[in-house]
Amino acid sequence: MSVGRILIGTLGLDQHEVGAVTVARLLRDAGFEVVYTGRFNLPPGLVKTAGEESVDVIGLSCHSWEYLHYTDELLAGLAAAGLAIPVVLGGSVITAADRATLLAKGVAAAFGPGALPEDMIATMRRLVSAGVAPPP
Amino acid sequence: MSDAAGVPAPPSAPQGRETDSGLPLRPVYGPADAPAGEYAERLGDPGAYPFTRGRRPAGADGGWIQRELSGEGDSGRSNDQFRYLIAHGATGLDVIGDTPTMAWMDPDHPVAAPAVGTQGVSLCCLQDWLDLYDGLPLDRLTLSHSVPAAFAVAGLYLTARRRGVDPALLRGSVVQAPFYCEDCGYATHMPFELRVRLAVDSIEFASRAMPRFHAFLEDTYYISDGGLDAVEEMALGFVEIRHLVRELVRRQVPVDRFAPRIAILVNFRMDFFEEIAKIRAARRLYARMMREEFGAADPRAWAVNIAAHTSGLTLTAQQPVNNVVRGATQALGLVLAGVQGIEVSTFDEAFRTPSPEAHLVALRTQQVIALETGVTRVADPLGGSWYLESLTAQLEHRMREMIERIEAMGPPEGLCDGKWFRALFLDAMERRAHQLNAGRLVQVGVNAQQMPEAEDTLLRDVTERKIAPAAPRIERLRALRRERDAGLVATALRAVCGAAEDRTTHLMPPLIAATEAGATIGEMAGALRAGYGRPPDPFGLVSLPW
Repeated sequence: MSVGRILIGTLGLDQHEVGAVTVARLLRDAGFEVVYTGRFNLPPGLVKTAGEESVDVIGLSCHSWEYLHYTDELLAGLAAAGLAIPVVLGGSVITAADRATLLAKGVAAAFGPGALPEDMIATMRRLVSAGVAPPP
Repeated sequence: MSDAAGVPAPPSAPQGRETDSGLPLRPVYGPADAPAGEYAERLGDPGAYPFTRGRRPAGADGGWIQRELSGEGDSGRSNDQFRYLIAHGATGLDVIGDTPTMAWMDPDHPVAAPAVGTQGVSLCCLQDWLDLYDGLPLDRLTLSHSVPAAFAVAGLYLTARRRGVDPALLRGSVVQAPFYCEDCGYATHMPFELRVRLAVDSIEFASRAMPRFHAFLEDTYYISDGGLDAVEEMALGFVEIRHLVRELVRRQVPVDRFAPRIAILVNFRMDFFEEIAKIRAARRLYARMMREEFGAADPRAWAVNIAAHTSGLTLTAQQPVNNVVRGATQALGLVLAGVQGIEVSTFDEAFRTPSPEAHLVALRTQQVIALETGVTRVADPLGGSWYLESLTAQLEHRMREMIERIEAMGPPEGLCDGKWFRALFLDAMERRAHQLNAGRLVQVGVNAQQMPEAEDTLLRDVTERKIAPAAPRIERLRALRRERDAGLVATALRAVCGAAEDRTTHLMPPLIAATEAGATIGEMAGALRAGYGRPPDPFGLVSLPW
């Protein structure tokens, strides 16, 4: 049985797919259902797909700086659509300073290059269950 | 870090004895392991067929072109970067386009804006080419390019003419990647047939108008940096080379006209001897293929020019200073393999396009090897090593097998469109991640000798500095569009579309005419796609200007 539905993709013209594919397969092996949107995603399309597919979490792989541009638009788009779906960013270009900035913006979690697979899985589990029944 | 007793556990290299591509190894090699066959037929002297020992004849200069991948922001900023590199000893230039340029998109496309100039130089029209090389001696520098090939050939050809330089004097290269670009990060959203036509037409045009220029640079670097192993890297590269050679021959272009300017851009990862053997095996396989199978008679057509980048994939965001060591180790391997051009991927590559500091370290790495180690005094110093010759023979055999297996599967168009190659790339990425997680692949700083983030500060300030998108460029492009002769541009673009639609017309003359008329890369791509019944803009946001 699925332990949650996660959308995985990359943003804009960021074509580095290694991270997205690796994480998608990692999550699938951990029992998640993965809605893989691949490359060339823009915020409006992500909001639409996330809503239609009823995903629990949106996970975006970042290997270029385009996330700096699109994160605000994505969070605003989700809010405008009334979707309380947590957004997780991960990728080699995300530094410790970036992580703090992203969390302050309202991103649920951000993983840099040193992230461990077990931490990513645990975070996804936590975010999925938080959406179903908020912890007391 | 120490355990309770204060004794650190000794880190170990991965267990088992095999190369990265899975070749089993003996603990030691001896005369019995030397491959069978006559010296002259199997190895040959350096500079002689089958070029296993390199293109450089004994006694010739053992140098190579020292360059660094560069290009950021707009053309002007990149021109400054080139001058900095040349002033610090670079002997050639190596330019990469930003992500919109690589995707044949204009910087004012709505999706392009956040990526303009951040991961390469933004090039979209003739003025950009003129600004890029402004004041630089076009006939005395080698100019290598990772930029869409047909666009680069058109831009360079016109730039030389405008500058009063005979295009026949241009040296350098441009990568061709028609098979794998869609799956390896350079998606063009063009159909297979069009991608191959653009490759063949640009190579054919350059073989006449720019005969010293390597317009046929097979790029296997990005295949390897996508995680495929040494055998897969070269086999996929050869499958693409062989297809393009057959297409050129079918078009009745004499093989001895274009083959002397075929080059391969390979990767060099951390498996030191396998990577050296890979390069030697590729040279031998290539020489035999060109002479025996394609009937080339000119000895220059048998000796493939090999350039290389050290591997970005092997660089880590953790402990960036370790990347300096990786770059030096890989560059030394490339020199020992006898390649013609080297680019050292910079220590900050895991985070960003190269900073000036990282560029300098990469150039100095090459200079220290060239000027201090003495490794170039003798041609092919490793030739005859029982171990290396055994690896070389085994790799060549496995490359040949894989080429035959792929070609037996049917036309490459089906393998590309049917996502067979894509599956290979995706599996390789996953394989590497698993190897790293399981400790079968060791990276210092990642799964060995890790360091707490707070202590990992050396070079981090440089590494994490970001480049802002080149926003003013968008305004300048809009101004350029207003100033050009709209009627002339529309006519030129219609001609590009018509040539694409016709399927047999040479694409370079209309592309050169359109570039000269002021058309942009995004408009030309739109016209080409429209000629194949595809949407001009893959994002559906921009329409054609006619």
